[in-house]
Amino acid sequence: MSRRGPLITLGSVLVLAMIFLLANTQVAEPGKAAASVPATPTATATPTATPLHALYAGRSSGDQVTVAIAINGRKAAADLNAGQASQVSMQGSVNGGKVTLTSQDGTGLVGSVSGQDMFGTVTGFLGQNFPFSAEQAAVEAVYTGRSSGNQLTLAVETDGDKAAAYLCNGRTVEAWLQGSVNGNQVSLTGNKGASLTGSLSGLDMFGTVTANAGLSFPFSAELSPRPAGVYQARIAVNGLATRIGWAVLPDGTQVGMAVAGATRYPAPPLDLANGSFTLGGASFKATPVAGNDTVVSP
Amino acid sequence: MTTEQMAAYPARDQYAKPLVVALLSGCAVAVVLGAYAKLHHPSRYALDVGGFSSPLYAKAWLTTAAAVFAVVQLVTGTRIVRRGAPAWMPVVHRWSGRIAILLTVPVIIHCIYALGFGSYSARVLAHSVLGCLFYGAFVAKMLSLAQRDKMPRWVLPVLGGVVFVSLIALWATSALWLFTTKGVHS
Repeated sequence: MSRRGPLITLGSVLVLAMIFLLANTQVAEPGKAAASVPATPTATATPTATPLHALYAGRSSGDQVTVAIAINGRKAAADLNAGQASQVSMQGSVNGGKVTLTSQDGTGLVGSVSGQDMFGTVTGFLGQNFPFSAEQAAVEAVYTGRSSGNQLTLAVETDGDKAAAYLCNGRTVEAWLQGSVNGNQVSLTGNKGASLTGSLSGLDMFGTVTANAGLSFPFSAELSPRPAGVYQARIAVNGLATRIGWAVLPDGTQVGMAVAGATRYPAPPLDLANGSFTLGGASFKATPVAGNDTVVSP
Repeated sequence: MTTEQMAAYPARDQYAKPLVVALLSGCAVAVVLGAYAKLHHPSRYALDVGGFSSPLYAKAWLTTAAAVFAVVQLVTGTRIVRRGAPAWMPVVHRWSGRIAILLTVPVIIHCIYALGFGSYSARVLAHSVLGCLFYGAFVAKMLSLAQRDKMPRWVLPVLGGVVFVSLIALWATSALWLFTTKGVHS
């Protein structure tokens, strides 16, 4: 009687596992397909086609240097970063899945795209040559920057074709924005006429941002490594529902505000190591915002 | 080899084939799971069980539930091999085991599909290896159970013990770690 029982158990485990695995391939396939489209710009692609946009983020083999590479059509740009004051920006081109970049001071990078990854070599960075690997990060990326007169700090999170952003001057003006990425065009809107339109070029995003005060500013933002990004917390302070937003720049600069009804005040400092902050003697947690999060209530 | 020589060692040889088949099948499952988890490009996201704050917590609670059933397994498993166990006990043992293993299925698929075989810290490496060991030992035990008349007596307790210990260790390297670092909530 117990002969078949274990085999039936084994079979049902296998069937359930297969159902989950197949369901996952169905669910995960669209995202993967969307992400892999720009990964292999081939030599046969017509140069006049809409620019393909892809981002790769990774590290050197020894982990000391972070590597960020952006591909736009046949153009490419990259940043190498080994901590403060040792950053190099590079420009270059894409040809048949091969990326070649150089900087003004002679640093070079050669990478080849392999599926979702890019592997290659960096030469002459702080006098060193080393291999690197990077992974396609187009699904999730963050651009941070400021308006032209430093009035506003902003952070734009992207996740595939979705985008969410926070902009703030730290004292009086802030806005949450929701929108989309279409090719290299970014378009977001918020409440009370707030909006952001921009275009992606290399590692940068340029455009115009309109705060809810009705003021428009040109801005520039660039692809930023974590912990840069948008963070938010929805908490109760003295019984008041309070929403706090932070735009965090790659150097750790935080600009944020707390809004509770008509009351507005600067956001408390955020501990970027664990997302915690203290307000009114109590400890709270902020969460990183992703590009596909809903930040503007419909 | 003559038939007389073969007949001289019936008691030894009757165990060999089913046991070797069961153990090798378990090994094969463990290796295949590990290889797939390592080679499959992590999707970073996967189907989720609803009602929890994050997939991580869904997995942690499913694993915790499975671990509770595993304790039931241990208690009933050590009794049913003795004489005089109540008639309901084998039923409880079978069903607690089935529920426990089915609870782990969404978890392992998420682990393998979204995260893959990780080795970036001792905890993650141990968890990855234990996950392969757990399913390998489970398959070996089920196959041994199906042929239990042809097994030495120590096989089921040993395989059951490996399944139990590896599940508890899996729980300790994942759910317990999550609860102690991020707090106990849903």
